Parts: sequence; C-alpha cells; structure tokens
Amino acid sequence: MASSVIIDSLKKAHILELLADGKRLDGRSLEQTRELSIDVGVIPKAEGSARVRLGDTEVVAGVKVKPEKPFPDTGDQGMLICTAEILPIAHPTAETGPPTPDVVELARVTDRGIRESKMLDMKQLVLEKDKSVIGVFCDNAVTDHDGNLFDVCSYATTAALISCKLPKYEMQDDLPVKIENETIDPPITTIPISVTMARIGDNILVDPNMDEWSCLDARITITTNSDGNVVALQKGGPGGFTYDQLIKCAEISIQVGSKIREIMKEATKGSN
Amino acid sequence: MGGRDTNIVLLDENGIRSDGRKVNETRKVTIKAGVLKNANGSAYIEFGDNKILVGVYGPRDVHPKHMSDTSTGILRCRYHMTPFSVGDRKNPAPSRREIEISKVIKEALLPAVILKGFPRTAVDVYMEVLQADGGTRCAALTGASVALADAGIPMRDLVAGCAAGKAADTVILDVNNEEDQAGQADLPIGYMPNLEKITLLQLDGLLTPEEYKECLEIGIDGCKQVYEIQKKALQEKYFSTGDDKNG
Amino acid sequence: MSNERGRHVIPGEVITSGNYRSEQNTFMEGDKIISTVIGLSDIRDDGVRVIPLTGGYIPKDDDLVIGKVVSHSAMSWLVNINSCYDGMLPASDVFGRDFSSHSDDLTSKLDTGDLIAARIVNSDRTRDPLLTISGRELGKIDSGELMHISPSKVPRLIGKRGSMIQMIENATNANITIGQNGLLIITADDSNGLIKAINAIQLIEEKAHVANLTDKINEMLESKSE
Repeated sequence: MASSVIIDSLKKAHILELLADGKRLDGRSLEQTRELSIDVGVIPKAEGSARVRLGDTEVVAGVKVKPEKPFPDTGDQGMLICTAEILPIAHPTAETGPPTPDVVELARVTDRGIRESKMLDMKQLVLEKDKSVIGVFCDNAVTDHDGNLFDVCSYATTAALISCKLPKYEMQDDLPVKIENETIDPPITTIPISVTMARIGDNILVDPNMDEWSCLDARITITTNSDGNVVALQKGGPGGFTYDQLIKCAEISIQVGSKIREIMKEATKGSN
Repeated sequence: MGGRDTNIVLLDENGIRSDGRKVNETRKVTIKAGVLKNANGSAYIEFGDNKILVGVYGPRDVHPKHMSDTSTGILRCRYHMTPFSVGDRKNPAPSRREIEISKVIKEALLPAVILKGFPRTAVDVYMEVLQADGGTRCAALTGASVALADAGIPMRDLVAGCAAGKAADTVILDVNNEEDQAGQADLPIGYMPNLEKITLLQLDGLLTPEEYKECLEIGIDGCKQVYEIQKKALQEKYFSTGDDKNG
Repeated sequence: MSNERGRHVIPGEVITSGNYRSEQNTFMEGDKIISTVIGLSDIRDDGVRVIPLTGGYIPKDDDLVIGKVVSHSAMSWLVNINSCYDGMLPASDVFGRDFSSHSDDLTSKLDTGDLIAARIVNSDRTRDPLLTISGRELGKIDSGELMHISPSKVPRLIGKRGSMIQMIENATNANITIGQNGLLIITADDSNGLIKAINAIQLIEEKAHVANLTDKINEMLESKSE
C-alpha cells in the first residue's frame, strides 16, 4: 500500500467533526453526490461508449458487439458481459497484473447490476435460436480514482449501452453476416441506476469520495430500475448495518437514483 | 501488411490519399498536458483517430526491492490497449505485441530521461490506447514524453514520434490504419529534436535504399512537426497566464 | 555576460551557449546549456540554472518538512514526506538515547496517520533521509488545516525574506507552517481568515510564474470578504 494513501489524522478528525454537524469536508450535504457529467460517443469506432466523471473519479466504457454461440442453457437469449479494470494511471496503488479482489468485486457488481435489471431485452438479440446470438461486451476502464467506482462504472456502462448502435446481422448459409452501414437500436427496457452509500458512525453519506472511503465503517451499493424497484445489492466494508439503516439506505437510493436517472436520460437523449 | 487487395484508393491521380491528405502531411494532432488528478504527470493525445491517455508516476519506491538499482532510478513502461480500442474486441490481458511495443517505447525514452539523481526509485509510464487507428506506438511515445515533462522528470530532450511508410509505390508520411493494412511499408520513428537523435526505429515491409532514405527524411520532418505540438501543450499548461494571448 | 532571468523553457531547449557553468536542472552539450525541466531560466554570474515549475520534493539537509507517519518498525517510524523517498524517524529521537524496544512502545508517542513537523538531518540518497522532531516548532501536529502545494512553488509562497508569507499571515491572522516539501499547516482562530489564507495560497500556486503576483495577492487580501 503506497504510503501516500494513508489518511492523515487531522483530516480524519475533521471529517468526523463535520459529520457531527451533518456536514462534509467538500461542503456537500450527506445525501448529495459530487458533480456528475456523462458524455456518450467518446470512442466513435466502438459500437457504444461513454465517459463519466463524478467529482474527480473518471471511467471510460466501451461497447463491442459480435456474433457468438449462445450458452447451452439459454439458446434463446443474446449474451451480455460487463467487465471493469482499474488502469494503473488511475491511482498510485493500482497495479498491473491479475485483478485484486477489489477489482474483481467491482467488475462482478457492475455486471450484476446491469444483468439483473434486465436493461437489455436479451431475447431480442438472437440471430438463430441455439446457434447464433449477438454478444454484447461492455468494458469499463477506470482512468482516475477518487472513490466510489461502483457508481461510476455502473453509469458508464448504462450510458454506453443506451447510446450504442448494434450492427445488423443476417444469417446466410448458417453463418451470421454483418450488413454494412445498417444498425439497430439496442432493446432497452429500463434504466438501472446504482447509488453507493457509506456509513461513518451513525451517518449515511451518499457518493463517498476517497477520503470518506478511507474512514468508512461499512458501505452499500443499491441499484434501482425505472420502476423504483431494487434490482441489485452489495454490502462491503469492515463494519455492519442495522435494519433501520438498511431501510433508510433503500429510500435514499430510490430518491437519489431517480434524480440521476434524469441526468442519464438527458445525456443519452437523441441516441436511442 | 503488404498490399492486401482492397477497394480503397490509397493514392489518387492528384496525389491525394484516401483520407484527403497529401503525401507529406500528418494527421491532425492535439495534446493536452496534466489531465489526470492522481498521476504525477499526464497527457491526452489525439493523433488522427488515435486516442491515447498517458499517466506517469514517480520517481517512487520500487517493489519488489530486488528490482531497484542502487545507482540510478529505473524506467518502466506499459503500452496497453483497452478492449474497445480496436475493431474486434481485444482481450484485456497483455498480448505479445503490447509487450514488445512497451519495450521499444521504453528504449526510445531511456536516452532522454535523466534518472541518476533518483537511486532506488522507479518512474512508471502507463500508456492506455482508448481508440486505435494506425501509428499508436508513435502517438503513445509522443504523449509519454509530455507526461514525463509534466511530472517533472528531468529529460535531455522530448521524444516525438511519427511514422513514414509506403503505399501505392509512393513514400508517405504518417501511415493510418487503412494504409497500414493495404500499404507496402510502415516505418515508425521516435526522434529527439534538439539533440537530433533517433531513438525508436522499426520497419514492417520492403523499402529500396532510396526509399529508406526518403522515409527517414520525411519521417524526421514529421517528428519535428509533432514536437511543435508537444511544446505547445506544455506551454499552454505552464506558461499561459490566462489573461493574455502571449503567455 | 549579463544576468537574465525568467525565460520560459522546456526540457531540451537551449538556454544559452558560450562560457557558462551548467547548474541545477541543466546540462551541457558541446558549449550549449540546455534545460532538463519545465521552468524559468536564471543566468547569474556565469552560472545557468532553471527554476522548475514541476516535480516532486527532493530532500535536503536542514529542510523543515511536514510528514505523515505511515508505519513503524521496532526502532523507528517510517514517514511520508511527499517525496520519492520516505523519511525515517528513529525512536531514539523521541524517547532519548535510553530507548529500549522492550519497554518503550512507539505507538504511544506517534501512530500511523499522525502528522509531524520535522527537520531533515541526513539526506544522502543511498538510504532513506533521516528526520528529527526534537527542536523548536517541531513535533506532532495536533490541529490546523493541512494543505498541499507543488514543492516548486514553495519559494514563491515564502517570498523574498519571507515577505509574501508574512503579508498573508498579517492580513488573515493565521499562523502558517510551511514545509519545503509542499505541505503546509494553517491555524487560524477565525474561519474567514482561514478561508482567505487558503485562497491566497491557491492563487499563488496557480499563478506562481506571473509577474506582479504580489500586487494581485495584496488586492485579494485587502478586499472585504462577504
């Protein structure tokens, strides 16, 4: 662990002092997220892409599409695989080499949030049942890390998928052939939005930055869909939550989630 | 490589290339220095349709310790392509091509960096290709030099990269992806403009001795043009006062 | 040979040529003196150097630095001093020469995350720089606001004979301890004074290379807040 990332005692003391007054070091209220910006189409050669900035955290996501053989038990559905990687440029402690458990968790939580929300209607991504389906890959690359990678990767993936253009394929002699210059809009059914909260003492903070992440007792990421239903949950951190805290977190994630959903719609407007 | 049959006209009767350029014209290059919050130095470069982000950390501790050198700092470079950077999605694991390019770029930067003053440390250069369109190693090298200067790593000179090549039997400057696929030669060059030394040189294809000479000349000229953009990027970040045009 | 300062240079640019000595952040190629960093050239008494606008902190003997304790062994603390080398503070510096690793517990005095104001005692690059906190105004920091600026901007913040920093302290009633490594501690009783001091320091960091900076800072400090 690089010595630069240990939080200093003055800062930690400040964070706790301010929380006693319901305030945060960067001036936000407990339920306020940092400034969010979503830009789509930043990698024009990919089928879909988005760059999301939440405060100083930044992620670039790219969507690549190609025909695949379906999984044996789901021959009537397309394939969706989401990954996440913390690039070594993103943080002094980010390493190259096989992913650490933190990174594996990030990738799997991102993938689950998108998959379980059923945001893409996979049944519409079949070219020939049991033989050939459309495989959609969304890869997230974290380029700058200032805490809360779960939400930023989730927003980047969602924005890239909503705004992507799927190539059109036709089956010719049992093989999928790409039709040049023709695309289809992705079959989007809902817009999942994740909200990550940290518990520090008895306080619940939305969108913890790196400093707050370093002194949290526990954290939870809750993903809701456009109907306000909960579609994914992940608790992390060394401490626990009480029942009341978990109810409060769910309420916050629905409220904050719907505000962010409006930002997402605005950013991807006009794409699909 | 090597004259694959395509429908693209690499060079028309007016000497204009498939993307509208003349034979001695580089693609549009823009560079911004200091774009990342955490890295000690960084640069974002667009070289034609190539989009590359470079971050530098260091000088910093080396782990494992046995890799450090007690007489000097060491330079480590990683050239890496994101899965969505190329036409067919690329596996995130490093390929042999990326490993070779990482080494070649490191050896292009070594003559420039001065690390004797930082024994037992490492300077890490990470180049991430977000979108690729031919000539990524030259673009990555160009961005890396700017990021190193941004990080305050002492250097004898910047290193600028640009490729020369041959298509339709004509020597051309700055080969793009189409030209690389369908053309006859690709010669990437890395050049220190003030010390006038070439520190990166590779060839893929066939050149007569005369064409080789022409490629070097036109390529070095291309590197000099790219150097002006590197200079501009650093001057913009460090020397502009924001309230007047002359910085 | 005239004195000249303040020309903008980047690595590889020739500053001058002829009968000059190559000093900090330059090297000689033939008779040309060339910059190795981004900065401002400074020619004085036939010596050519470059004042860098980038780069981390390089430990020098007697420098005052603000450090953060990151770990400890049985005999010393390891301290991050915002440099490529971590500093080492021997336990004997705090416990005295009779220090015994059996009876004296290091964490009772300093623990991971604690901030200290220290002086560099021995910075030879073949090993980690040695620190001391026994001295006036040195020791553990219990309160105040920690700020980071680029170490290359510290001289500008201090000013000629301390003029710039004194101007800020007087105008804001704040006490500012400046580490040569770019870390500062600001203590102020009045939160307005604290905010003004922070803003002034941020402005200096942004505009360190601009002429008449002193006037700009003065203006800023004298304007009524709110």
